[in-house]
Amino acid sequence: MIAFTPLLALVAALWCAVPRSDRAAPWVTFVASVLTFGFSLIPLTALRAGGTIVFVRNWVSLDSLAAFFLALIALVYLTASLFSWGYLKGEPGERIRLYYANFNFFAFSMLCIPLLSEIGVVWIFVELTTLLSVLLVSYALSVEALEAAWKYMVLTLLGATIAVLGVLLLFWALHVTGSTDFTWTGLREASARMPHALLGVAFALLLVGYGAKIGLVPLHTWLPDAHSQAPSPVCAMLSGIETSVVLYVLLRLRDVFAGDAALHVGSWFLVAGLLSVGTAAFLIVQTHDYKRLFAFSTIEHMGIVIAAAGIFTPAADVAVIWQLLAHAVTKSFCFYAAGAALMATETREIARVRGLLGTSRAAAAALLLGALAIGGAPPFAVFLSELAILQSGILAHLYLAIALLAVFIVLAFFGLLRHVTNMVGGEPEAGRIRLPAPCLWALALGAIPVVVLGVWMPSGLGAVLQSAARVLGT
Amino acid sequence: MAESIALNLAQLAFVLLLSPLFAGILARLKEIVQSKRGPSIFQPYRDLRKLFGKDERISAESSWLFRTAPYLIFIVPLIITLLIPVLTDFPLFLAFAGDMLAAGFIFAVSGLFFTLAAIDAGNPYGAMGASRTRMVGFLAEPVIIVVLFTVSFIANSTIPYIVQQHWVHPIANFFAPSHILLLIAFFMIILAETGRIPVDNPSGHFELAMIDESKALELSGRSAALVKYGGYMKFTVLAIIFLNVLTTPWGLASTGSIVAIVGAAAAVSLKIVALVVAVVVVESSYAKLRLFRISEFLGAAFVVSVTAMVTELLRL
Amino acid sequence: MNGIIVELNALVLGLFIIATIAMTVTRQIGACMQLFIVQSLLLAASAFLLGASPLSWHLVALGCVTVLSKVVIIPWVIRALVPGEINQRRELAQTIDVPAALLISLGLTLVGYAFAQPLIHAAPSLSAGNLAMGVAGLLVGLFLLAVRVEAVPQLLGILAMENAAFLAGIAVAPDFPLIAELAIAFDVPLLAFIVALLARTAYRRIGTTEVGGLAALREWIR
Repeated sequence: MIAFTPLLALVAALWCAVPRSDRAAPWVTFVASVLTFGFSLIPLTALRAGGTIVFVRNWVSLDSLAAFFLALIALVYLTASLFSWGYLKGEPGERIRLYYANFNFFAFSMLCIPLLSEIGVVWIFVELTTLLSVLLVSYALSVEALEAAWKYMVLTLLGATIAVLGVLLLFWALHVTGSTDFTWTGLREASARMPHALLGVAFALLLVGYGAKIGLVPLHTWLPDAHSQAPSPVCAMLSGIETSVVLYVLLRLRDVFAGDAALHVGSWFLVAGLLSVGTAAFLIVQTHDYKRLFAFSTIEHMGIVIAAAGIFTPAADVAVIWQLLAHAVTKSFCFYAAGAALMATETREIARVRGLLGTSRAAAAALLLGALAIGGAPPFAVFLSELAILQSGILAHLYLAIALLAVFIVLAFFGLLRHVTNMVGGEPEAGRIRLPAPCLWALALGAIPVVVLGVWMPSGLGAVLQSAARVLGT
Repeated sequence: MAESIALNLAQLAFVLLLSPLFAGILARLKEIVQSKRGPSIFQPYRDLRKLFGKDERISAESSWLFRTAPYLIFIVPLIITLLIPVLTDFPLFLAFAGDMLAAGFIFAVSGLFFTLAAIDAGNPYGAMGASRTRMVGFLAEPVIIVVLFTVSFIANSTIPYIVQQHWVHPIANFFAPSHILLLIAFFMIILAETGRIPVDNPSGHFELAMIDESKALELSGRSAALVKYGGYMKFTVLAIIFLNVLTTPWGLASTGSIVAIVGAAAAVSLKIVALVVAVVVVESSYAKLRLFRISEFLGAAFVVSVTAMVTELLRL
Repeated sequence: MNGIIVELNALVLGLFIIATIAMTVTRQIGACMQLFIVQSLLLAASAFLLGASPLSWHLVALGCVTVLSKVVIIPWVIRALVPGEINQRRELAQTIDVPAALLISLGLTLVGYAFAQPLIHAAPSLSAGNLAMGVAGLLVGLFLLAVRVEAVPQLLGILAMENAAFLAGIAVAPDFPLIAELAIAFDVPLLAFIVALLARTAYRRIGTTEVGGLAALREWIR
């Protein structure tokens, strides 16, 4: 039953693809996303103690890590579909319909990834997430949006092509050991017996290939463009979830390669992560566009997660999962706030937005809350997860790396806050504007986890995170 | 020994007598492809006879270079004929006197003298053609070197008689990528070195666009005939190296009997005619490249030759 | 293993890399597409040759799917979606001149060869060349993407890289479970469709498909 969860999104997509369904499209999408979220919660509790639900042996299965990601995707899918409803008010019906069709296809491709356990098919779906979101990025049809979509497409497909060679080499390495079980678990079991040369090359190819999709520096150039030009709900999906899902694939691969100590997987992750965090921190300081601001912040957070994954202790793995959750809920909220600000001011230039508090109180409050939360101010979720990461790093005696990480995080925090306070304060330039109701609902709904998770961790959720981190295991 | 000398003489006779015929066939075929009738295939013989019978004009300002170069251009293809398997697949007595690299060097000598003679005459077009020929030559050089090195990798020799046997023993060698790619690269080099389209237009009459022809503008009478004859033979000799040495030894005589030699002469003529057809196809389907694009054509030949080498290295 | 098949496969590999390099330097967009078709046919030929001895239906099927998808469907999709004038026009904008591009491609071929060298001794002898030429093709395709500014050649560059990856793949993973067929049969045509759709939209909205020349989003401009 749970294995069919993504099919809800597929059904919604097909429904929206039927001509003249534009009035029903927002409803259908919303209902599908609510149902998806509901279903995705079921395995969370069932798998809390560990274990795996196998639907089709070697092809479709779910463990606690995958279930956690499934729920995370469904959550952002839910808020994004709600925000889309208000965001697209006033668009021609035909465009709304095509938007929703594409949006649901995109959600479908992402929902499938955690459910799949066959690595080749996972690769296909990672490529599909790109293909099915390209036309969403170019939705505005402006020169900038088309350029962003093109860059996004070329660079991520490039990454996918590099990754496929890595996948093929990994299969070959598995073949050499005599096993045919090309799944996460099968690979982990066989990884100790695989030839070192093959593993090394496959690791390099997969890190570069999937890294391009995650936005790791220096393959990040497409990310600020795509994540700023797309409609805001799509940005929320791209930044909040798509990058994390690919990161999930990379995290699982990490454990395959960790079997070969000579590869120094942890060090490579640390270096790649720190490079991204550092670059993104400086980019945040100098940017002029508030949606790009949050896009750079995505690069920063992906870097933090990769670096934390390089620490390789059970505590760090819990922090990784915690950080991914905090980032997904906070970043999607940030993009809703940015979308609300965009609707209120109709510009993306930071310098041209002044006195947002006077123009739209909801947008200003959301933007401030989002910037504080994503920058890592207490008492929000990101603060706690980043603290956990720094702590676990210190316990693992990685002082230099942690010092650098802390410096970059602080730098990014002040960069973010400087830009956002400039926008919120000052004399308003336009009159008061009222945002569409679904947008306000989405903002309210999105704000709940951002605020709550910082001060109160439900005990059930804690157990879910723990058990998801155990699957990563070291 | 006597038989060997006789066979060598037969090879010389083959090149001397039939070279103009192949040029005639090429010209005629090209005209036919272009929906024209064209001259008789024996026209080159008549041209040569006419030129040999004419007075020769030599500039008073020119030096001995101008007078000796035509003889050199005429003789060099004949010297190379002695080194390569024209009609026989067994080595003759000069077979080991020089390898394919030596053949390249000997050709370079005649090329050098032709260039100097063209400048010597003082005609501005001569110097222009000379510099352009050098340019083509420089660009073709790396290709030839890589081709020969690859051949020596494959056959462990650059002696033509040894190389030719390698391609068919065993027959799988024939399909080796290095072999096929070498052939493509070498074919492109033949086109460039003998001044065919797309590098040069042999039938062009516009001096500014000429590469090869403009060097011979000052020559007249016997000198002109010798240079023309030398050009015909150069094409034939390169074709023989291409067909007999680099492609296969098929059709060559394996004994020294007269029947075998005559049969081989016919077979080799057929092979050359086939190559002529290929040249006609290329000449009729492509336009002459602009001068600065020639480097791209020869660059492509270089790519092919290096790929030939890489695929050879891959089969460790 | 049959000697002639080994040699023929090696020949196909050599021609494959030459076709890839030719795609990098050719000026016309139409010629680029034809070279891509040739390249795909060579990939299929390699699959057929490797699948012939020992007989592997898996590789034969892969070859058939490749022909169907990349030789028939993809060119059809591109021609149908991208305005005709783009296909015929000469592409003058090229960031590197041809001889330099040729030499760089050659250098990348040698890099691919050197890269595959340490892996080759673990492979069965027949496929050694496939891996090296696949990696080389991947690098040359990457270079193609970097020097091309037009939309269609960039798309063909991605597809060429994909071909190269599978060329390496059929050698190292001859019984790869289904992914190759699925990807080629389903993923790649979808890719071509979406990218061509994007190129068409760009052409209609901005009047050019020189996507490489778009620079509205550069960070340092403002």
